[in-house]
Amino acid sequence: MDVWKSQKIISDQCMQGQIGPLRLWLKQADDELRIAVERIEDIKDILETRVFEPIKGSEPEDLDWGRWVVGTNADTIKLMPLTPDRPLVVRPEVPLKIPTNHEALFFVSFPIWVRIVTDKPRQLNLCEVPSVVLSNIWFGDPMSGELCYSLRSRARRKINNSEPSPHRAICPVRIRNSSMRQLDVERFCVHVEHLKIYDGIEKLWTNEISITFKGESEVSQVQYAQSPPSFEPVKNVVSEARIPLKKPLLKKSLSKFKLFSGA
Amino acid sequence: MFAITGINWTNLLTKETITAVIRIAALIAIGFPLLAFISAIAGRAVKKRFTPQASMLVRKGIFYTGSVLLLVSILYQMGFKLTALLGALGIAGIAIGFASQTSVSNIISGLFLISEKPFTVGDIIKVGDTKGTILSIDLLSVKLRTFDNQFIRIPNESLIKNQVTNITRFPIRRLDINVGVAYKENVGKVREVLLDIAIKEPLCLDEPEPIVRFLNFGDSALEFLFAVWCVKDDYLKINTKMMQQIKERFDAENIEIPFPHRSLYTGSVTEPFPIRIVNGQSEDKTKSP
Repeated sequence: MDVWKSQKIISDQCMQGQIGPLRLWLKQADDELRIAVERIEDIKDILETRVFEPIKGSEPEDLDWGRWVVGTNADTIKLMPLTPDRPLVVRPEVPLKIPTNHEALFFVSFPIWVRIVTDKPRQLNLCEVPSVVLSNIWFGDPMSGELCYSLRSRARRKINNSEPSPHRAICPVRIRNSSMRQLDVERFCVHVEHLKIYDGIEKLWTNEISITFKGESEVSQVQYAQSPPSFEPVKNVVSEARIPLKKPLLKKSLSKFKLFSGA
Repeated sequence: MFAITGINWTNLLTKETITAVIRIAALIAIGFPLLAFISAIAGRAVKKRFTPQASMLVRKGIFYTGSVLLLVSILYQMGFKLTALLGALGIAGIAIGFASQTSVSNIISGLFLISEKPFTVGDIIKVGDTKGTILSIDLLSVKLRTFDNQFIRIPNESLIKNQVTNITRFPIRRLDINVGVAYKENVGKVREVLLDIAIKEPLCLDEPEPIVRFLNFGDSALEFLFAVWCVKDDYLKINTKMMQQIKERFDAENIEIPFPHRSLYTGSVTEPFPIRIVNGQSEDKTKSP
């Protein structure tokens, strides 16, 4: 997609670009670059993507601008899709049951983060903004769990059903039940910080995750594929993993228990 | 030539005396720096594996024990008899012990606090009416910085004796808000609005789930407990946000937050309250205020 390529900044002009619900505003003056973020709630505009263009008229007054000193010769900017900075707890809208020795493949679509970098004369990371602000959730025990983002998902089983949203990436998650009992998939934790993002023909993809559930009292084995997903031809890696990982992880990634919340 | 004011310096400067002076000088010059070095090394080694309090304890323990041994050695070199010295120290120890009962109690309490670890430096604790962040845990006392930037020293003994609440021990906290609405309001709608406020606030945790409990038929209101979970660092931010959002949403949904009020009746709930105009000539028993 063109929005992920280098884009020219026109000095002393207010410019606007869009990735799904995330609208970005830029303004360069002298050696300073100003960036503002706006989130669109109008459903009609939410699937649009636009490269940076100068706006006609004046910018909205209620924008909350941030300022960066980038130098006078920084005339190119680049947007990079990123995975969220914390794990995601995916909660399927309708829980699914996996019998013993069976596996299920889910396509989890999650909103990406966008990193804004100056591209020329040198790369300078300016900021990272989420395309959608996800709610916090606690995964695990209230005394020792971990803070994640909550993602209500349809956890689709077929890729054709997924709508091509410019601000979302799709993570294939394969869950295998190796325990002696049926597995109720009410929620599962996806450590997206270990995933790369690939540019597909229509969508953004991540590498595949395989979770092997071995029982309530056992930790699950989580494996991150090192190759690109095979569900759609992908062009290249658009962003590396925040925390690269090569060895399989042993983690508690599946949870069907309700956390204690009594008054 | 050394005989000044009756002292025979030649007799004093014997080989033994000079050796003793050299030994004392060596003990002072080498002993104390070496002791400081060893205690620092030991403290650093303990700090890597254990808490800063344990490190401090080891460092001070080594330094003070070593200092006492050095002092005894110096006194021995000076010709003091150790048996007499220890006897004198024993008597002095009893006297000092009586005088420093509180200090000793604080030191022992400090040792318990360090081994039990109910809190660490940086935790926010509440002791009685005092709430603050722990700056240091020392042998005699714990030092706090309150939120209005005051320095408070709490003796260890009182921390052992009294109830101490560690507010930031666990990573997440529950914020409890008591909400009252007018008797005419629909309980289901109130519950729905409150849960919606929690769902729409990203800093409120989705799990553990927010709770709305109908608590009581109060004097002036239907009383609810609205409890949301958040990360401990977001507690104050969430508190302010939730309060503001409850007021704004209740106003938008026409849900009345009643103030305490009392109705007066004169025997019947439907009849108007009778008044009498004192300055005027007439008397009206049917007008209500």
